[in-house]
Formats: sequence, structure tokens, C-alpha cells
Amino acid sequence: MQNVYTVAQVNSYIKNMFTQDFMLQSIRVKGEVSNCKYHTSGHIYFTLKDIKGSIACVMFASCRKGLAFRLAEGQQVVVNGSVDVYERDGRYQLYAREISLDGAGALYEQYERLKRELEERGMFAAQYKQPIPRYIRTLGVVTASTGAAVRDIINIASRRNPYVQIILYPAIVQGEAAVPSIINGIRALERQGVDTIIVGRGGGSIEDLWAFNEEAVAQAIFDCSVPVISAVGHETDTTIADFVADLRAPTPSAAAELAVYDIGQLQDKLDEYAYTMRHHLDIVMQRARREVEQYRARLKYVSPANMIRMKRTQALFLEERLQKGMERQLIDRKHRLALYAEQMKGLSPLDKLCQGYSYVSDAGGRTLSSVQQADVGDQIIVYVKDGQIKAEVTDTEMRELTESINCAAADEEN
Amino acid sequence: MKDKDTMVQEEQERPLSLEETFEQIEEVIAHLEAEEITLEESFQEYNRGMKLLQHCNATIDQVEKKVLQINEDGGLDEF
Repeated sequence: MQNVYTVAQVNSYIKNMFTQDFMLQSIRVKGEVSNCKYHTSGHIYFTLKDIKGSIACVMFASCRKGLAFRLAEGQQVVVNGSVDVYERDGRYQLYAREISLDGAGALYEQYERLKRELEERGMFAAQYKQPIPRYIRTLGVVTASTGAAVRDIINIASRRNPYVQIILYPAIVQGEAAVPSIINGIRALERQGVDTIIVGRGGGSIEDLWAFNEEAVAQAIFDCSVPVISAVGHETDTTIADFVADLRAPTPSAAAELAVYDIGQLQDKLDEYAYTMRHHLDIVMQRARREVEQYRARLKYVSPANMIRMKRTQALFLEERLQKGMERQLIDRKHRLALYAEQMKGLSPLDKLCQGYSYVSDAGGRTLSSVQQADVGDQIIVYVKDGQIKAEVTDTEMRELTESINCAAADEEN
Repeated sequence: MKDKDTMVQEEQERPLSLEETFEQIEEVIAHLEAEEITLEESFQEYNRGMKLLQHCNATIDQVEKKVLQINEDGGLDEF
């Protein structure tokens, strides 16, 4: 027959087992807060759960200094305490001594608090932002000397402008040593007198980027007399450093583009300036040349040489007109002559001779056209088509006939 | 003429930045564009502009730079 125990005995036994377990006496448990009640006594009762189970928790008023924030539903927390048995109910629960927000949650809380604080101090105010110089000679870079960030910055910067001097401060960008290292880097480059500083690192977890959320780093960036471009992680990562920097670049590559001007574009701009000036000078010179040309032309016009030339031209012109007029007159006369000749041709006595007629003149060559001009014994000459016949008048006889018949009769007589 | 003198004085005190040089070049161009400029003035302006451009090129200092890194003593080494 086995022993029979009281409830109290069993609970006491179990409690003793828990108490003797080294691990349960100091344990860190993480989970999500639910059923959170702040009791008037100052104790806090809540349940810690995860997807597989839950555990009742209590934080006594005496331990409240272990809780730096207000516990609320849904928070992911890490509870540090012990697991013990509540004998009266036969239940075990977690007795919390310290509660902290879990990982990212805790850091986020810290981040938000610092962000608010610095914002209230005015460290993000636009009035403190220094303009990033457009054309720089030296670029300071505070980042790890290995890794993608420094490579990206050097590649982009030297592609855009290989004439910009890059000075790298090889910083530790995560872990305990990161904060002083980054601060030293900013100060060292400021002393070097660089024109712009890029402070940053490549992507990582919020813990990896944490140094850039530390107040001391923010203060160093704020105090830096050289304009600072922050370039922490990826586009979606926003750190306190980004708010306090003079310019936030989404990535280290983008920071290099913002910091370093494109030499090609600048050269184009200079060429354009040179061309524009040359062009305008040409315009002014052309205008001056035109004016000179105009004066020259006017002066030439009024010169004595031109006067003489003009008179000469005028004289030549007149001469030409004169000649033309003369020629016209001559041609006119020639035409008229030709016309007369044609007219005369019909009237020529030689034609009549060809047709068998002849005419008669006295010895002196005077044409005989009347009986009265000839006396018997006069020597006369008869003209025929192929020569002349010398004859002597033997008789004259007046006839009352027409002149032409009279003439014909006279011819027949010869 | 007075403007030019003050410019020279400034040049002696502190080298002009590229931005400032650009502003001056823009001024020169505006003068050259003006209808009423005389030929003499235009030559002066053009010379001034070309000098400013030379200054720009000198400022750019086209020597390829090697990346330097600050060492522990604050000195510079090649990266």
C-alpha cells in the first residue's frame, strides 16, 4: 500500500524541486506580453506567451526598478527572474526581477527616445544644415576600410571625377569600439581640412548599424565644421546620424554621387562658356566690321576720285548715246536711200532702152524732147541699149500729137 | 574698371571658388550680350572671361588622385 499525501505536501515537494533547480532560479525568458495588469498594490501581473505556450508572470512592486518602460500588450520582452511554485493554487509562475524589451524592440525604444531628445534640442533643425559644396577638391570618408561601402564610394567618386582627393579614415563601424572610432574619424578628417565628409557603412542589422544611433556620434557630426553626408546601410535604414547630418544619402554609392561632381559635365559647361563668349565677341566684331564697311563705302562715295570716275562714266554714257543716235540716223538714211533706189529703178531710162526705146540728145548731151530744140543740120546722138548712134537732123516736122507719140515718131525717123 | 580692381584684390586675398568664377563668367557673358557694348569693352570682357575659364581649369587641378588613408599618427598613407 502506497503512502497518501496531502495537497500541501505535494505542492511543497514540487516547490522544493523548483527551488533546488539552479536554472529555474535565474532564468531569462522571452515572449510576448499579454493580459497585463498593473495592480494597485504596485505588483504587475501578466502572461508571457509565444506560439507554443504561455506562462503566468508577476513582477512585485519591490522589483519595479527592473522595469524601465511601461509594460503593454503585445510587447516582445525578455524577463529575467525565477520560476517558482505558488503553493496555494498549485501553480508555477515566473517571478520577474528585470524586464527589458527584446532585441530590436529595445533598440527601437532607445532610438525613438534619443531621436525625440535630439530633435527637441534642435540638432535636426534645417538652420544648422551646412550646404554641401558643389565642387570639392578633397573628400573625407569615415567607414570600414574593407567591405562594399568603401569600394562603392571610391568607384563612384573616381568614375565621376578622378581629380578629387579621397582621404579615408578606416573606422570600426560596429561593436563596442565603433562609437569612438567614428568620432575620431570625423575629427581627424576635419583637421585634415577636407571639403566634405561621408560617414557611413554598408547594410546590416539594426544592431550592426547601432553606432550610428549613438548620441556621441550624433554630437560629433553636429559639431563638425565640415559638411557631413551620412550614408548608413540601405535606403530603408534611417539612423540618428542621418537626421543630424547635413545631408542624408540613401546608400554609400549615392553619397559619393552627392559629394563628387561630374568632371565631364563641368568640362562641358566650361566649353559652353568659352563658346558663348567667343560667339558674342564675334557678334560684336561683326557689328563693328559692318559699321567700318559702311563708313568706308560712304567715304568712298564722296571721294574726289569717285567724283571723277562718276563724271567719266557720265561722259561715256553720253558718248554712247551720241553714237547710238548717230547710227540710228545713218541707218535711217540708208533705208530711205534704198527705198528711193527701188522707186527710181522703175523710172530708169535704161530700162526703157532695153525694151527697144531710145532717146536723143544734142551734141552737148541735152535731151531732145521737142522739135523746137532741133534744127536741120544739127548733130544729134541717139542712145540705144547697146551704145549710141551719131546722126544729123535732116528735117523737122511739128505734129499735133501727144508727147509720147511725137517722141516715138522722132525715134522712127532716126 | 573699379569692378575689375576689386576683383583682382579679392583674387589676391582668397582664390575664387568655381561657383564664384561661374557667376563672374555669367556676368561677362551678359555684358557681351548687351547691344551697347563697345568693341574695346568687348575685348576686355572676353579677355576677362577667358582668364576666368583658365582659372576654372587651374582650380580643377586635373591630376588623378590616389586614395589616401589616415594612419594612427595622423599621417597619410596610400590606401
